[in-house]
Amino acid sequence: MDNSVISSSSASSSSSLIIETLGEEILRIVRPVSFCMFLVVVLVSALSSSDPSSFTSVASIVYSEAPSDSIWSKLSGAFLNSLVFVAVITLLTFLLVLLFYLRCTLCLKSYMAFSSFVVLSFLGGEISLLLLSRFALPLDIFSFLLLLLNFSVVGVLSVFLSKMPISLTQGYLVVIAVLVAYCFTLLPEWTTWALLVSMAVYDLAAVLLPVGPLRILVELAISRDEEIPALVYEARPVEPISSHRRRLWRERRDFEVNPGTITPNAPIIDQLLQETSKAIAGEGSVGDSSTPELEAPLVPRLPGMQEMEDVAEGIGLGSSGAIKLGLGTSSSTACWLGEQQW
Amino acid sequence: MERVMGQDDDEERQPLGGSRRLVQRMVSSGGDVGNGNSVVWPTVDGPLGLSEERSLEYARSFFKWGFCLLPLLWAVNCFYFWPVLRNRSSASSFRRIRPYVVGSSVAFLIFTILLSSWALTFAIGGERLFGPAWKELVMYNVADKLGLTGWM
Repeated sequence: MDNSVISSSSASSSSSLIIETLGEEILRIVRPVSFCMFLVVVLVSALSSSDPSSFTSVASIVYSEAPSDSIWSKLSGAFLNSLVFVAVITLLTFLLVLLFYLRCTLCLKSYMAFSSFVVLSFLGGEISLLLLSRFALPLDIFSFLLLLLNFSVVGVLSVFLSKMPISLTQGYLVVIAVLVAYCFTLLPEWTTWALLVSMAVYDLAAVLLPVGPLRILVELAISRDEEIPALVYEARPVEPISSHRRRLWRERRDFEVNPGTITPNAPIIDQLLQETSKAIAGEGSVGDSSTPELEAPLVPRLPGMQEMEDVAEGIGLGSSGAIKLGLGTSSSTACWLGEQQW
Repeated sequence: MERVMGQDDDEERQPLGGSRRLVQRMVSSGGDVGNGNSVVWPTVDGPLGLSEERSLEYARSFFKWGFCLLPLLWAVNCFYFWPVLRNRSSASSFRRIRPYVVGSSVAFLIFTILLSSWALTFAIGGERLFGPAWKELVMYNVADKLGLTGWM
């Protein structure tokens, strides 16, 4: 009798603790995404006077929108644009899967470091120049270049070096997401909406279909016990309760979570979140032919709901206890918000 | 073996030097020392951050690379190893990290003073001080001249 009372009270207290930790984990993901969206909206409203049709990228080579076109031509043009874009993304993702399969991790990592550097320096530089012009801040060229160089190099290091301050890494990932999202808001309007929809559809297809490149990538990574080189935002793990056991997606291995010990090279992909990386080729940078940018999309998977004590497993937090978030979702939602013609 | 503060003051108090060395080895390996311990982690991330030996390598390389026109690395160094700066009565292993972190903070302060004085002189002095060269140097004019923001 006493045992059942004790066990039921402990069960209820453990269930409230589960809810608290889940809430805390969700907050730690919602916070950076909201901050990203806020920053994009602020940027768009601050820089809204520029000519919207001057931005060309691979997403608008087929059809560039003019305000005088009919709705049908806009729609079909946007659809064609997004089709081309998704095709390019698919090709590049398959290329990435091939490189990962052939274990060219050095190749992958250096490419990603390079493209992060380009995003932070060129895009960041452009946007800060626009801001400087808009607010007429008299900064001179030497300090500007020095600050930009520092900003980009430390950004690349923080995203790819395994051990930098967590807040710094998270901050830089948010900045990269903001920059990419702001670029998308510069595309013609119908194209942007069509792109958002088609990217969401593509993500679902790429992850859920057995032939999808993202699914192949994740399965490869799991079978080899490696981590995918990708731009992934990892939230700080909430202190786990020592009795919880976490499970791998499909692996059904049980890990004991030791509070206070985190495996920094946790090769585990969370059940809830899967991530990958793609390259978006943008044209028109000064003197170069293409400016590759990186985006890691997120497809939330619905976990199977199990009974109460398996809730933590159902959410599928990996043995490191941290939720990982690909950058694509925050970028696309921020872009969608930025499009709202503030 | 619960208290893991390898401070030098404890040397007299510790009855067994062997256990203290073992404890220090556990601290430096950064492994699980047990729950509710009072390990002093050198990084601001606490148990999620670096162990003490790796911190030394990181502190040293941040300090050295900062001299390659990357003073932000000095700032990152100070921020990352803030417990080392704050903890005056440092542990003996902090003593190796501390010179690099203190050096980084001094260097970053000097750099900030230099850069801000130059930037403020430039901004406030303006054309009165620099003459027509000011127009050549200010960033938004350079951007317009080179068409850097043209494609956006």
